[in-house]
Amino acid sequence: MTAYDTIVIGAGLAGLIAALRHAEQGQRVLLLAKGYGTTHWTAGCIDVLDAPETGDDPSAAIEALTVCHPTHPYASAGLANLVAALDRLRALCEAANYPLVGDLRRNVRLPTAVGALRPTCLLPAVMAAGDARQLPRAGSVHGTLVAGFRELRDFFPPLLAANLAVQGYAAQGAYLELPPTGRKRDFTSLTLARLFDQPEFRAHVGRQLRRLVKQNGYSHIALPAVLGLEHAPEVVRDLQAAAGALVFEVPTLPPSVPGIRLLRVLERAVIQAGGRLQIGAFVTQAKGRDGRLESVSTAAAARQQRHHAERFVLATGGIAGGGLRAEPSGELRETALGLPVRAPEHRAAWFSPRVFDGAGHPAFRAGVAVDRRFRPLDLADGVAYTNVVVIGAALAGVDPVREACLEGLALATAWAASDIG
Amino acid sequence: MQTVATDVLVIGGGATGVGCLRDLAIRGMRAILVEKGDLTHGTTGRYHGLLHSGGRYVVKDPQSATECARENAILRRIMPHCLEDSGGFFVTTPWDDPDYADRFLAACHATGVAAQEIPVAEALYREPALNPRLSRVIEVADGAADSFLAAHANVASAREYGASALTYHHVVELLHVDDRVVGALVEDLRSGELKRIEAAWTINAAGAWAGRVAALAGVTVTVTAGKGTMVAMNHRMVNTVINRCKMPSDGDIIVPIRTVAVIGTTDTPVPNPDVYAIEPEEITFMLEEGAKLIPGFASYRALRAWAGVRPLYQEEPRLADGLRDAENRDISRAYKLLDHERRDGVSGLISIVGGKWTTYRLMAQETVDRVAQRLGNNRPCRTHAEMLPPPADEKPPTGGDASRFFWLGKPLADVERAADYGDLICECELVTREQVQAAIDGGAANLDDIRRDVRVGMGPCQGGWCIYRTTALLFERIANAHDGDATRFAAAIRNSNAALLHFLQERWKGVQPVLWGDQLRQARLDELIYVGVLGVQRLGDLAESGDAVVTDHPAIATERLE
Amino acid sequence: MGAGDFIERSLTQSLDHCIKCNICTTVCPVAAVADLFPGPKYVGPQAQRFRRADQPVPDVSVDYCSGCRACNMACPTGVHIAELNARARAQIVAEQGLPLRNRLIARSELIGRLGNGPHAPIANWALRQPLMRRTVEYALGIAREAPLPAFSASTFRAWFRRRERQMQPARRATQSRRQVVYFHGCATNYYEPHVGKAAVAALERNGFEVILAKQNCCGLPLISNGDFATARRYHEANVRKLLPYVRQGIPIVGTSTSCTLTLKEEAPAILGLDGPDVRLVSAHVYDIFEFLCELADRGELNTDFRPVECMLPYHPPCQLRAHRIGLPAVDVLALVPGLRLVESHADCCGIAGTYGLKREKYQIGMDVGAQLFAFIRDSGSDLALCDSETCRWQITHGSDVATQHPIEILAEAYGEE
Repeated sequence: MTAYDTIVIGAGLAGLIAALRHAEQGQRVLLLAKGYGTTHWTAGCIDVLDAPETGDDPSAAIEALTVCHPTHPYASAGLANLVAALDRLRALCEAANYPLVGDLRRNVRLPTAVGALRPTCLLPAVMAAGDARQLPRAGSVHGTLVAGFRELRDFFPPLLAANLAVQGYAAQGAYLELPPTGRKRDFTSLTLARLFDQPEFRAHVGRQLRRLVKQNGYSHIALPAVLGLEHAPEVVRDLQAAAGALVFEVPTLPPSVPGIRLLRVLERAVIQAGGRLQIGAFVTQAKGRDGRLESVSTAAAARQQRHHAERFVLATGGIAGGGLRAEPSGELRETALGLPVRAPEHRAAWFSPRVFDGAGHPAFRAGVAVDRRFRPLDLADGVAYTNVVVIGAALAGVDPVREACLEGLALATAWAASDIG
Repeated sequence: MQTVATDVLVIGGGATGVGCLRDLAIRGMRAILVEKGDLTHGTTGRYHGLLHSGGRYVVKDPQSATECARENAILRRIMPHCLEDSGGFFVTTPWDDPDYADRFLAACHATGVAAQEIPVAEALYREPALNPRLSRVIEVADGAADSFLAAHANVASAREYGASALTYHHVVELLHVDDRVVGALVEDLRSGELKRIEAAWTINAAGAWAGRVAALAGVTVTVTAGKGTMVAMNHRMVNTVINRCKMPSDGDIIVPIRTVAVIGTTDTPVPNPDVYAIEPEEITFMLEEGAKLIPGFASYRALRAWAGVRPLYQEEPRLADGLRDAENRDISRAYKLLDHERRDGVSGLISIVGGKWTTYRLMAQETVDRVAQRLGNNRPCRTHAEMLPPPADEKPPTGGDASRFFWLGKPLADVERAADYGDLICECELVTREQVQAAIDGGAANLDDIRRDVRVGMGPCQGGWCIYRTTALLFERIANAHDGDATRFAAAIRNSNAALLHFLQERWKGVQPVLWGDQLRQARLDELIYVGVLGVQRLGDLAESGDAVVTDHPAIATERLE
Repeated sequence: MGAGDFIERSLTQSLDHCIKCNICTTVCPVAAVADLFPGPKYVGPQAQRFRRADQPVPDVSVDYCSGCRACNMACPTGVHIAELNARARAQIVAEQGLPLRNRLIARSELIGRLGNGPHAPIANWALRQPLMRRTVEYALGIAREAPLPAFSASTFRAWFRRRERQMQPARRATQSRRQVVYFHGCATNYYEPHVGKAAVAALERNGFEVILAKQNCCGLPLISNGDFATARRYHEANVRKLLPYVRQGIPIVGTSTSCTLTLKEEAPAILGLDGPDVRLVSAHVYDIFEFLCELADRGELNTDFRPVECMLPYHPPCQLRAHRIGLPAVDVLALVPGLRLVESHADCCGIAGTYGLKREKYQIGMDVGAQLFAFIRDSGSDLALCDSETCRWQITHGSDVATQHPIEILAEAYGEE
């Protein structure tokens, strides 16, 4: 019923930050999303770009990319927009008492739940002590304790510690005793996070950690990223104080508690700024005229609900997010607005036979092609809708997982696209 | 070098091999089985799981049909816990000759295959997803068989009788004394050690690989590998085996087994049983054929595709005449017992080739009859009468027929009863931590073995979550065994990394042919997890096969692409 | 393939969309507080692969699903989790029978009829007595603390008929061209006629003649307790009764979000009912604020409001969210000068129809609702708004704050007393 200025489709990082930006500009904003998505699946860090060739400097890597791959979405977004978006996000998280740390000029390598070291750019402060450069090496008097709970199926300390150890770090794994709770079974990452929000629970864990630190002289403690849903920094502070060592979170298998924390910060910010979220709204139809999108319809009980706006932001994600879907016939389509998708012509060329082919799989670089202002292009390279922008993982020409740029891409393109037009 | 002596050496850990092992053991012969990979590593673990009623062969191969019908009844008696009594329909679709059903019924009658025509409406009531345009439906006693479980049950039973089975033991050469095969030199792929197994008789039950084993004795056995491709669908849209009522052909059967429905198969000869690819056209064709049985078939979610190689025995033209002796005449055309002493002048070796899973017991019986006779053992076969032991955690079946068979809801009922849903490692297939650990302790050499044992990673997410978990459990078990030994501990993590990467690559081969729709979305989410969140692609330099973990040995590569 | 097959397939086949990501479990209010419930993914698309209509029911934990549909809303892939769960529960009921307690609370109409009328004060008094409640808990398994509504001395229908008789001549003179059927549901009829009165007032203020069609219980309590056979009869009866109106294009407007959702979608989809009549009725059913919103969109909403100076906490109930129509009450009430609604972002109040009444689930319901009760209490308001009746009773029970249907505030803004 409300006439909206901007409708954003998609509740991932790109959609949320775009909704926030528009709402903060004083627009009436509606965010429609089929459900949640990528925030629950990722590590909860802000990956900007894996940058092995520029000495782990993602900003330099983006500048290099702008020159070598002018069609890469980062090239259109520009570094300045990324910087601005990162600044906004940092300020937001800071204000929500969930600070992010990191530097656009230097990636940090953090241990994963298997003990590989993955690069990221901004990270929640509660993960900061996991910076591989700071972790004690083998032979040092200190070491890293990797601790967890048997009851959690998504994090295994011995495996993580052993892989750190073969990479030359001093690390040992241990299982902790789960503090007494009213729950007897089924401890998911989120249940544990809620339990860690309770001071008694974390005090119990803190005492166990203290004992282990005293025995073995650990300087660092890695724990699964379940250290509180609402009070993570406090939880980490309390655990550090109790244990007498630096504590850091390591992301678990999905669902990702750090991702959910980010989502909550952003959702609240959008609502605070006057935006409205409608989760569970699946966009099934789009109506346009004369190169402008007039309305989208979402599936409601017994009928379609139509939504009008001046401007639409498509942030529905890639294949995982549901923004792109492949038919058995070997055709990829964009699911919300029916925009043309750029993909390898034949299904035979979609995948490499090696699952971890360094170049990734061509199908995962498929997406919607856009002009420099992020407006979608039709197959003749004309602008399909002048009042639509496409942002995030729905864009063609990038594999955000392999390039380790999922969040950076979302932020930069969301920011750039809301500045234009 | 370790040397072991036994009466009979069985080569091949598929259905036939384990069947022979059990039969030998029950009759009191000492027997050792060697398998280059895991049990059921070859064709047995790669078939659609159909327990034939015999219907499929009534017209084309009546003798096989009769054998299947008899064996079907026996297997229902001796291994109900490995079988699902799903029943089967032969249905006439608008694409099939409507008169074939009459021929079919007559042939069923002639071959002793129980069959009864039922009203189409009744069939549709029982299976609402079926094509409503069917014109005739004939009900038969098809079923579904868990070939992994059955192989393990056979080996467990054989062990109780004193036999042993060695997996990851690859036959390097056959031992000869003059023209007599007297055992084999085998390599333990886990440790790299060589072992001598001396045996009075050697049974070559290597299936599609039987030609290679025979060649080690200088004997030519031509087994053509017939590649059969299958696709597993995410859930059972039917609970009855559905066959097209026509001459057997490609993509004409849907087998509901465990949580999935398998459509099969194709039949393409391939020159090398280890080297073949799944062609996109095969998948397309099968989905199209599936739609004739179940409208909208392609819109259901496909989980993965795989292929097995049928061991198709080709009679040697130059020897064919010589083979027509009294002893061979009574053997079915579907499988062949090759007594190399008579055939090639090489004694001590017998090959059993061809056949199908449903008749494995009969094939074993006939093979062991021959060996027993040579060894002067005249105890009769009892495998048709003696029940196979159910797994340790399962009470022996009681009550009526229905409760004896495996039923779909059983794994869920077990988890619910124990309320251990918080301890599920593989959530899709409801595999608990305890089950995974038991599979590891049982000697799994890699994650694929654990998959075969307990179905980890076989559900919709194809290992998205459980394979990380299982790797960690595998590592914890191996590492515990090496507590205190730093070098072996370091090897343990490298081995575990190799197991993880190996499994993910194996899985990729299976899912890649069916990546669209939901399964593509799943694959991308799995990639987000393994590449994005876990960064396992960065473990490449830290991964190494070895010790107990076997991942990259050329002897066990299947479905390899070149 | 007929449309019926399509609904059928889209429901059962929707399990194929599950990519096991567990997002549903993270938003499940029951799984958050109770480890007896392994979560929507487990009992929904995961367990579904192990179920077969003609074999024994393998699971029991699905009974702890409250049916709130938070999972459906959050699922990025479109699995009809709540519907799968409802069906699974029905299979349990079909196999094991419905406990007397569930049989009773599923018949809201029958209970309403029993308690309603001149003896209502006695019934209400009796149900407030601790001894009586203990007996009821012991005998029937209805938690003694659970919020039971008070019977009204006179039904809504009786009031409407009386009024109709009084107004008849006057109204005939100014007969409006536009008509709506009001679907009041059991709660309005037997417990809260004031909600119905407000709805009638608001609709009439917009120039509609309100028709009180024959109707019966929508059957939702039966669906959520797994008695599909009776639910089917109920829905078919409603379709028969409403069909003559929808055939003339007259919309059906309801104030109970759960009744309207059942008529629109739940009954056809979960019970596997379909056909042109069912679909026609479904297509004509509106939540009252959804209906008013559409009027506003067309510029036809009477916005002659008098100011209502207050700020009220508002909880959009799960059943409203399941309509997937946004927040029409917020949109319409935003037009009332001085009135501001503060939306709760709490998951669920915990009652989920009859779920929170049950002895073994009462505490789960209260734990689920705790966040919402705190929000309502902390608002400092002495009045809260919520579109769904059982939720209103639960909110009042949990927070001690009176709770009204938003239509009552709208009626007030229209100048009704």
